[in-house]
Amino acid sequence: MLIDEMKYITPEISLLCFALLIVVVDLFVTRKGVLPILSVIGALVAAFFTVGLWGNGGISAFNNMIAIDQFGLFFKLLILASLVLVVMASNKYVLKFEKFQGEYYAVLMLSAIGLMLLVSAVNLITIYVSLELSSISLYALVSFLKDKASSEAGLKYLILGAVASAILLYGMALTFGLTGSTGLTAIADYFRTSSTASPLLLTGLVLIIAGFGFKIASVPFQLWVPDVYEGAPTPITAYLSVASKAAGFAVITRILMTAFGQPDWLHAEWAIIIAVLAALTMTVGNVTALVQTNIKRLFGYSSIAQAGYLMVGLAAMGMATQGNADIRSGIIFFLFSYTLTNLGAFIAIIAISNKIDSDQIADYTGMGKRSPLLAGALTLFLVSLTGLPPTAGLIAKIYIFNGAVDQGLLWLVVIAVINSVISAFYYFRVVKVMWMGEPASQDKVTSSWPEWTALAVCCIMVVIIGVAPGAFVGLTQAAVKMFGI
Amino acid sequence: MLEQFGYVGIFLLIATGFTVLIPLLPKLFKLMGLIPGKKTAAKLVQYECGMQTIGKTWVQFNFRYYYFAVLFVLLDMLTIFLYPWAVNIKDLGVGGLVAVGIFLVILAVGYIYAWRKGALQWK
Repeated sequence: MLIDEMKYITPEISLLCFALLIVVVDLFVTRKGVLPILSVIGALVAAFFTVGLWGNGGISAFNNMIAIDQFGLFFKLLILASLVLVVMASNKYVLKFEKFQGEYYAVLMLSAIGLMLLVSAVNLITIYVSLELSSISLYALVSFLKDKASSEAGLKYLILGAVASAILLYGMALTFGLTGSTGLTAIADYFRTSSTASPLLLTGLVLIIAGFGFKIASVPFQLWVPDVYEGAPTPITAYLSVASKAAGFAVITRILMTAFGQPDWLHAEWAIIIAVLAALTMTVGNVTALVQTNIKRLFGYSSIAQAGYLMVGLAAMGMATQGNADIRSGIIFFLFSYTLTNLGAFIAIIAISNKIDSDQIADYTGMGKRSPLLAGALTLFLVSLTGLPPTAGLIAKIYIFNGAVDQGLLWLVVIAVINSVISAFYYFRVVKVMWMGEPASQDKVTSSWPEWTALAVCCIMVVIIGVAPGAFVGLTQAAVKMFGI
Repeated sequence: MLEQFGYVGIFLLIATGFTVLIPLLPKLFKLMGLIPGKKTAAKLVQYECGMQTIGKTWVQFNFRYYYFAVLFVLLDMLTIFLYPWAVNIKDLGVGGLVAVGIFLVILAVGYIYAWRKGALQWK
């Protein structure tokens, strides 16, 4: 019964109720401070329902449209966690939106609903619909500042996003046309009985990879990233760089593993494509980041580079026979640690830019003297992004590269390690500017308590994962259970 | 499967051919001597609907029309979903009633939003 299956989407339904509630409350309440509290409560309620579904490994609901599995539930929790952190971080930033604060929180939650459905969708149609739900909300959020840069960013994101959607749809249409089904497991059944794929079907596969390549910002679909990251409100930049990217990786992992994971000749086919794209993505991201002077652009290119490391994991997954679960848990672990690290870095950037009202790296000069805590936290996150001990970034990189070497992708790992060294240059340039230079003004830079709390959570998690990763490795290994394989 | 894609291909060919052919028709007629092809001022005017154009294209509309158009679309949605439900009201039973109720609540939030933000006022 359809009604009985409603319990599988309780997290999304509860989040939707809270989003609508925020819209209504915003109209009648003059004290806007209640809105972020409502959004956090909404996210926590949704997280509670998500945890309640945990352990229901591998059920599909609504005629194979949505799957309830550990993999999807883990990513739902990750998206909800980043939603909470972004809401806490935008506490002061929303004052820039004046009378549109309610819309900001509501649309943010709608995009989270889209992403949550996206990571649990197991049918090309639900995948597309939830992708659009999240994307359309994000287009609106990117242009929320309504100034020149923000509007330009929103328009660029909208147009390029529409092109990517069209490419993705074309790939899906070809796949559907030749396999006769939109369900991921049904597509897998088709491949089990066929020994070769027609060139048209491989075209469909490539187009699907291209469509999601836009979402995860892989080369050559990365051109939107720097402009959109720079123009968007900083909390939204943070949200784009973690939640949207994590969901993109989750869904591409699911599609490749479930629909195109078997037989051997097929997954070797896309593994090579992903491996080449990974090498290009890392290199382009890191080399271009070297010359950036704006911290948001720098993080844009850095996030492209990080997507490249993640694609090393995807390529290794394609090389492995029988869908090696260890490699998949490596990708999940990397996304987990990357989410916390990158969000933490952005929260520090938001706190600093609230005070100095600038995103230029040059204006960060002497930040170590003006706010030792913020500068210290940002340094920790930059160290983690470089992949040095004692942080989460190191463990995540080792995890992914180890799996890739096991699958014979040594050449790719060598490129990735060289790239990590290059990345140290620009990450440590920011560190050097913050601690070595003399500050232009002696004003202390401080922040509000929600931002401090969010920052502290990220700092502690990054260090704990770096020092004692055991429990988190266990969690990610439990999260590899995917419906249909 | 391939056959169905073939139909799409034929459709694509016809559509492309048609779009290329139509703008070329006057040239073709001129070559065939069917029309004189003299360029007078009236012939070079943008064709809209046969009437003579009055004023410029860049007329400014009141922005409020846009709000009403959007609200009208909302009402349209209401009709589209309520009508099939009303026709099958007996078969759909309580489940259908609850579903329509949820739908109306979500739509009502939209209307309350429009009302409080002043979209219903003509100022």
